[in-house]
Amino acid sequence: MRPMRTALAALALLLAAGCAVDTAAPARAAARFHAAVAAHQDEAACAMLTRQTARKLPDPGETCATALGQLRLGPGGRVTSVEVWGDDALVRLAGDTVFLHRFTDGWRVRAAGCEPEHDLPYDCEVED
Amino acid sequence: MRWIRENALSLTFMTLFVLALAGQAVAGMLEFNDQQLVNGLQPVSLLAYVTSSAFAVDVSENWQSEYLQFLLFIMLTVWLVQKGSPESKRPGEEGPGSDEEQLVGPYAKPGSPAWARVTGPRLHLFGNSLGLAMGTVFVLSWLAQSVSGLAAGNAQRLTDLRDPISWGAYITSPEFWNRSLQNWQSELLAVLSMVVLSIYLRQRGSPESKPVGAPHSATGIEG
Repeated sequence: MRPMRTALAALALLLAAGCAVDTAAPARAAARFHAAVAAHQDEAACAMLTRQTARKLPDPGETCATALGQLRLGPGGRVTSVEVWGDDALVRLAGDTVFLHRFTDGWRVRAAGCEPEHDLPYDCEVED
Repeated sequence: MRWIRENALSLTFMTLFVLALAGQAVAGMLEFNDQQLVNGLQPVSLLAYVTSSAFAVDVSENWQSEYLQFLLFIMLTVWLVQKGSPESKRPGEEGPGSDEEQLVGPYAKPGSPAWARVTGPRLHLFGNSLGLAMGTVFVLSWLAQSVSGLAAGNAQRLTDLRDPISWGAYITSPEFWNRSLQNWQSELLAVLSMVVLSIYLRQRGSPESKPVGAPHSATGIEG
């Protein structure tokens, strides 16, 4: 039983460690993304997207910055809530909902300009 | 060498357990990273995977079902018998047994454990300690499954651009019950197979079997 007790204690520790999440970093990343969009710094905003989202956003012949600028995303506003589960986060702002993923170099935006669809996936202007 | 020989069964199972858990960690990480690539996300290290909710839920859902299996087997065989099974007491012997049969209180032997010599709560606790231990690990493992399953499920929901759900919603969700019941059904079938097949089949030399020549109708005899 001793190995089992040790393993259970280790599992409990891991769960406790997993529960101590940093919500400030994804909130800052979402706010920075919206600040860049609002300031028409579309290249800077594109640099905050995940590689897959930045690749899928433009039509053929377009750049990411051009495509993002044409979307005319509304203002994000203040952060109202943040949820982090594992390496994924959802940041609700007054004017938008943003999905982010944590990479080794920090949080990047996977989807933005998102509208809820009941329990279905959000309908997002920018997504991967 | 003598110590190893006298504990060979525990040592063998412990070694197999560690090897299987390590194998699960590596295979699980490779599968997880395959899905990360599909989603355009970074692969994770082995350390990151074994400390993730995805690994924790896969481990704990199996643990809880194994301890539930033993809890049920230990407790139900107190009161229920199966004629012909070496896993069962003989018909008519149902129940917790008398103090004399159980060697407790005034009937304790010189080698009996200290808590078997006393009466009251300590005897009651020690007399049910095996079931209590199995039940406690079952409840804790199931709780761990619910917490880690919620974390892994919500990470997946965010990947799918869906709202996370609460713990209350998760433990009433199809996913939680599908994970639980798919493990329970296999454990219950395994116990049923052991109880019934051991009536008619033998494994020479195994204490889990009747002696090869024992009659099919003989109950509670171990070889």
